[in-house]
Amino acid sequence: MNVPILPTTSVGSFPKPDYLKKARLQLSRGEIKEKKLRELEERATKDWIHFQEEIGIDILVDGEMYRGDMVTYFAETLKGFEISGLVRSYGNRYYRKPVVVDEVKRAKPMTIEWFQFAQRLTKKPVKGMLTGPYTIMDWSFNEYYGSRRDLTLALAGVIHEEAVDLEKAGAQYIQIDEPAVSVRPEELPLAVEAMGVVTKGLKAKTLTHICYGDFEKIYPGMLDIPVDQIDLELSNSSFNLLELFKKHPFTKEIGLGVVDVHSHVLETKAQVVDRIEKALEVFRPEQIYVDPDCGLKTREVQEAKDKLRVIVEATKEVRKGLVSAGSVGGKL
Amino acid sequence: MLTVSTVSHYPKIGDSLEEQLLRRTYAQFDRKEVDLAHVERTKDEVTRQVIQEQIDAGVELITDGQIRWNDAITYIAGKMKGFELTGLLRYFDTNTFYRQPICKAELTSPESLLVKDFQFANAISSVPVKAVLTGPFTIARLSQDKHYKDFEVFALKLAAILGEEVKRLAQVGATVFHFDDPALLWFKKEKAVFKKIWTKLASYFPENIETILFLNFGDLKGIYPEIQDLPFTTLGLDLATETENWEVLESTPCTKKLLAGIVDARNTKMETEEELQGKLEKLLAIVSPENLSVSPSHGLEFLPRASAKKKLANLAKVVREFREAKVKT
Ligand SMILES: [Zn+2]
Repeated sequence: MNVPILPTTSVGSFPKPDYLKKARLQLSRGEIKEKKLRELEERATKDWIHFQEEIGIDILVDGEMYRGDMVTYFAETLKGFEISGLVRSYGNRYYRKPVVVDEVKRAKPMTIEWFQFAQRLTKKPVKGMLTGPYTIMDWSFNEYYGSRRDLTLALAGVIHEEAVDLEKAGAQYIQIDEPAVSVRPEELPLAVEAMGVVTKGLKAKTLTHICYGDFEKIYPGMLDIPVDQIDLELSNSSFNLLELFKKHPFTKEIGLGVVDVHSHVLETKAQVVDRIEKALEVFRPEQIYVDPDCGLKTREVQEAKDKLRVIVEATKEVRKGLVSAGSVGGKL
Repeated sequence: MLTVSTVSHYPKIGDSLEEQLLRRTYAQFDRKEVDLAHVERTKDEVTRQVIQEQIDAGVELITDGQIRWNDAITYIAGKMKGFELTGLLRYFDTNTFYRQPICKAELTSPESLLVKDFQFANAISSVPVKAVLTGPFTIARLSQDKHYKDFEVFALKLAAILGEEVKRLAQVGATVFHFDDPALLWFKKEKAVFKKIWTKLASYFPENIETILFLNFGDLKGIYPEIQDLPFTTLGLDLATETENWEVLESTPCTKKLLAGIVDARNTKMETEEELQGKLEKLLAIVSPENLSVSPSHGLEFLPRASAKKKLANLAKVVREFREAKVKT
């Protein structure tokens, strides 16, 4: 895989431009046709791919312009799901939760067309992006399967099918997000088992993103998740996790979240350089991929772009330092 | 005997236009189209709706639905002096969040926390209303203390404030007090401190009130039977999602009244009548019908409103038929 040391990448989602937000609303009111929405989703995807190329990101994402929510998208596409009435998450924010009402099956590939669309636009690798079985289970109501485990393993089967198709379509990196894993430490073994089903036999590099961390509670157990890389939000925890990793070595590659996605405040280049350098005290350079803490979809388009730019510039500077110090070979 | 009750919260909105009143009003308030007094009137209106909905479903001892509460912690802590509310944290293992209070000064509650809310609900309800409070241990555990710098001192102070509140509520007619204090089940090692805190809290209890200690988000392994030594009248627990609680309860005779959460308040799957009847039979082998009431396992806000309504009506129906059958035989 032809990427430099400290490859830069993204966790998945980018903000939708205003014209796309408006079009999604119009579609829900029946004011435009699906074909029109699709056109705009393609336009937004193109823009994001071009932007990532232009600023020099190494491993691209399609930005998920066509997805609403990371679980609902899959639930709406899979067989066996319905969508519930509104439930509240906090304040005046409500969402609809998927409900499993029948055996879960993949009627058709869910992400392949969009992956191919994005990959055709660039020579750089584009990541295949999936939501993990444990998280889909945890964020859904279950009216069909006898237990959380049964549902999780059923979902693992269909996500595996999708991962295999992504690999066939040329994905060199397949990310299977499991943000819910940090919530119930006692169920970590289930998430590990399910991920084993998803990644079985894949040759692509596999990674998972975990967030909302009380990572102390699932570390070092989370190193058992059968993927090559774990992506974590580190800037949100002020990098306290690094102390944990000093005590018990992190044995996988790490996706290093270096900018806070929940804050409007733009990190300075010096701040991000400092974060990467702190990480280099704990990890070997070859272990590290640099990215934002989490999906950037909640930021404004301009804020997201600025944060990505800082990541690329800071990483370039750290790379130069590494090469001149002779700690890695030249490939810049 | 064998009554049906609700616990804690009830969904604030539903899917119909009418049921979306509160959500719309908050949005209007954000756009400065209505004032705070209008929002408060809307909360009253929605409280009225959800009280009637519980009664219509057949619930015999209700709550006010905690329509005014954003979450279990900040509504009550936010009314005390000495706390500052900060960032959002996950509430136990749910997909809901609360603003973490940070204690930065001596805690006081010069004004009542819940008296007005209770009086409002009690005046409009045709069935008895419980006063619902979050327990002192849970408020303390889910907050940060930068003032007392000693967990026990901090939690005892909260117990004193809540104890005073119980007295105020009793003066305006509350007789049943429901304490949600689930953090114990996540911090079982601290049961000795929990005991001290609850002993302090109970020292404020007037005579002849019912006090429910409701424990969910975990099982009572290692907590029961000792928990029965504490000064409360009714033990509430999750007997829907925490299957181990059945073994726990069956291990030692129950000396308290029991509030059994036999309906799963975190999943839309409907309980069958046979399933609920089976649970009632099992419960009556543990306590007498006079000492038993049943409820959902948690507040119902984790469910869509339509599903919450259906589950309550289903529970009430099964209990009604069960009681009738028992009277005949
Ligand atoms: Zn995340």
